Amino acid sequence: MYQDVLLLYLIQKFCGERTCSGIYHLLKGKKSSQSVQDSYLFHVAPFFHSCSELSRSYFDTRIGHLQRAQLIRSIDANCTRFVLTENGVKQLDVFPKSRLIPDGLQIIDQINEEGRFWLKLQLLVQTVSALCQGQSTFLPVVRQPEISEHVRKLILSGLPTRDQLGRIVFNELYQLFLTMPDGEANSLSALLSGWKASGLTLDQMAEVSGKDTLECSILFKSALRRMMHLFVESPDQFPFLSRLLIGRQSSLSKTAETTRKLLQTGLTLHDIANERHLAVSTIEDHLVELTLKKVNHWLPDYLSAACEQRIMNVAGLLKTRQLKPIKNHLGEHVSYFQIRLALAKNAVSGRKVVRTNEQ
Amino acid sequence: MNSNQRFLKQAQTILKKQFGHEQFRPGQEEIILNVLNGKDVFAMMPTGSGKSLCYQIPGYLLQGTVLIISPLLSLMEDQVHALRLTGEKNVRTLNGLMHPLERSRVLRNLRSLRFLYLSPEMLRAPAVMKALSKITIALFVVDEAHCVSQWGHDFRPDYMHLADIRAQLGQPPCLAVTATADEHVRHDVVRSLNLTHPAQIIMSVDRKNIAIIVQKTANQEEKTERLFHLLEKAPYPGIIYCASRDWTERLAEQAKQKLGLRTAFYHGGMASIDRRKIQNQFLDNQIDLLCCTNAFGMGINKPDIRLIVHFHFPSSMNAYLQEIGRASRDGKQGLAVLFYTKSDEQLPEGFIDGNFPSDETLRRVLLQLDQGTRSLADKNEFMNVLMEEGVSETAARFLFEHASEKPMQQTYSSLLDPCRMRIKERVAVQVNDLSIMKNYLETSSCRRRFYLQVYHEKLQEKPAYCCDRCRIPLSELMQKIPKKKRTEPLRLMDWKQKLAALFQESERSPL
Repeated sequence: MYQDVLLLYLIQKFCGERTCSGIYHLLKGKKSSQSVQDSYLFHVAPFFHSCSELSRSYFDTRIGHLQRAQLIRSIDANCTRFVLTENGVKQLDVFPKSRLIPDGLQIIDQINEEGRFWLKLQLLVQTVSALCQGQSTFLPVVRQPEISEHVRKLILSGLPTRDQLGRIVFNELYQLFLTMPDGEANSLSALLSGWKASGLTLDQMAEVSGKDTLECSILFKSALRRMMHLFVESPDQFPFLSRLLIGRQSSLSKTAETTRKLLQTGLTLHDIANERHLAVSTIEDHLVELTLKKVNHWLPDYLSAACEQRIMNVAGLLKTRQLKPIKNHLGEHVSYFQIRLALAKNAVSGRKVVRTNEQ
Repeated sequence: MNSNQRFLKQAQTILKKQFGHEQFRPGQEEIILNVLNGKDVFAMMPTGSGKSLCYQIPGYLLQGTVLIISPLLSLMEDQVHALRLTGEKNVRTLNGLMHPLERSRVLRNLRSLRFLYLSPEMLRAPAVMKALSKITIALFVVDEAHCVSQWGHDFRPDYMHLADIRAQLGQPPCLAVTATADEHVRHDVVRSLNLTHPAQIIMSVDRKNIAIIVQKTANQEEKTERLFHLLEKAPYPGIIYCASRDWTERLAEQAKQKLGLRTAFYHGGMASIDRRKIQNQFLDNQIDLLCCTNAFGMGINKPDIRLIVHFHFPSSMNAYLQEIGRASRDGKQGLAVLFYTKSDEQLPEGFIDGNFPSDETLRRVLLQLDQGTRSLADKNEFMNVLMEEGVSETAARFLFEHASEKPMQQTYSSLLDPCRMRIKERVAVQVNDLSIMKNYLETSSCRRRFYLQVYHEKLQEKPAYCCDRCRIPLSELMQKIPKKKRTEPLRLMDWKQKLAALFQESERSPL
């Protein structure tokens, strides 16, 4: 049930301007500039990386189901782009918004740390659970060297001491879970592993909770984001666990952050491409990302106000956020890069391109 | 008391004190005595017969560190885990996937280690060799020694350098162990590792406590029907091996619905964390029946698995014996059942092709390496990129290992013909293995006698519950297999209960 409505919602948001794959990559949190940009352009950023375990075959099955149920219909010959049917719109409208997008899901300022943070938390909890039950060995569910190293440092830092560890992690998690809806706290805690208490997989959680896998995933992500948010906002309340987040606190991807630092030193886009041995188009992606995250102080160097105006006028006229039609209309005067910058800037400034509704 | 009696006595004390066993199992004594006498040893012991004790016990009696070279990361980690469970703290691993800081910590503290598990490629790092040359090496153990032989199933080029490395480390005594090796492979191992007058201890591959049934069915439907008929009265916990991911999911679901068993599936397409969760649940007795592909089982040490089912047959006798060998490691009665139908025969052939790069891939990758558009610098990266392009893991590893062996002055493309040759040889070996497996399925005589023959063994003594061809009394057998209470159904704890379980705290608010 939930999963169908979620897909209907995203299909509506994408207005048939992206293929299904775009939606799949959004949910998976694919780290391509296209997916990141789309999440802002179509105002669905909370769902980026929200179902990171989703398999392509399962996704395709669900899309097929929606199509057979005549809730969506395809608008191209290859059946890759869809819009909602009237029935689809109805189904979506009656579904409670607060269940569709739990509040926690919208806290996306730590989105780039999310994956790593979750791995660290799982390993920390599993380790502390074993330690406080007198076990010196266990089979860790997380085996990434970088993650182990971080957790090891945290545990060996000596504060708190080993005998206090269990109590402190328990207390902090308890306080955290009290602040969130029970359904979310239950989801996140069910996934955690400990000594003789292996965590459930999302599929297992779906099986016992009667919710579908995507809803379980969304509830868990909402809880996780609330947790990260609290760690950033009130680290004093969670002095131990909040240290899992110490380090980078930026919503920028690592590579875009590097580009930002180089821009600050006065280098141009081409200089940076040379310096980093990367393609110019990659650095362009970074500039678009900076624009979306509202930290592109160099935007005027690459996009004049007049040019931006021309692009947005055409986008409004054609009612689209697809690059190609806009480019075709404007010809040689503007580059694809400029179109992307303009769309990115206007996506976050709240000025919306007129919605297409191909009913 | 002569020295052998003294050694034996010491070994027995360790066996009891450190590992909690009263008695040695067949073969262990002889191997340990030879090792303690400083001889090179070649030992072939079937899976689950206590290979690792043969070098772990000497670790407590010899001066210095025991090096164990092992080709598989998961195997290494499980061994370390098992040793730690006995209370041993001075055990570490060195492998390519470690964090550099962790690696340097291990290297700094080598002297304090009783056991060090290494992947073979680690021994080619100068820093590692330098550190090792400064400590006393009590014993040089080569696990899965068949990997050294090009005739073996899992030939690893890195293993070819082990003889040189052992010499550089002052020629410590060597113990080469493997679960399965025919004469050809044994000869290869002794020669390639440069073992001097080794004591050869060859144990039977037979596992007498596992009854064997092979059933041919008319079609897939009948096969499924027979399977569920079996599962109704079968002992648990059990494993069902399937050839594809789809089947593992389908059977797990059906067994759950029809029989109310607690089931799970396990295959390579799952996220690695989910795989480890399922594995831990299985080890913690929270799953009755696990439906999996052959991705499951390596290094798994669960002594009370009672049932192994093959819903599709494996591609070699070797794999089959490995898989059924996971039943009843505690020595009690276990059961292995294989179902097959005519149409299953195409499955393994596809796998054999998938084990190697296609000619097109081979040529393309070598060319890209020459042009510099692909690099061997980072093994994981190299493997991952290829796997994303749809190349199988084994084929990707084949490419990495062979390309890494390129002599300095040559181009990568010059490896094309030698690689083609190698692929041809190995495909031939695997096709032959498969045909032996098929003959096994069709044999009208004793199954046990048949597979022993493959390893040039004679059946000495037939167990009471032998095989379907020897007409085992099925209902009597079922009585003999230890029964276990079914697992409680899966349930969702609320977060307070879960936290309490994780940290052994009360469910009440801590404030």
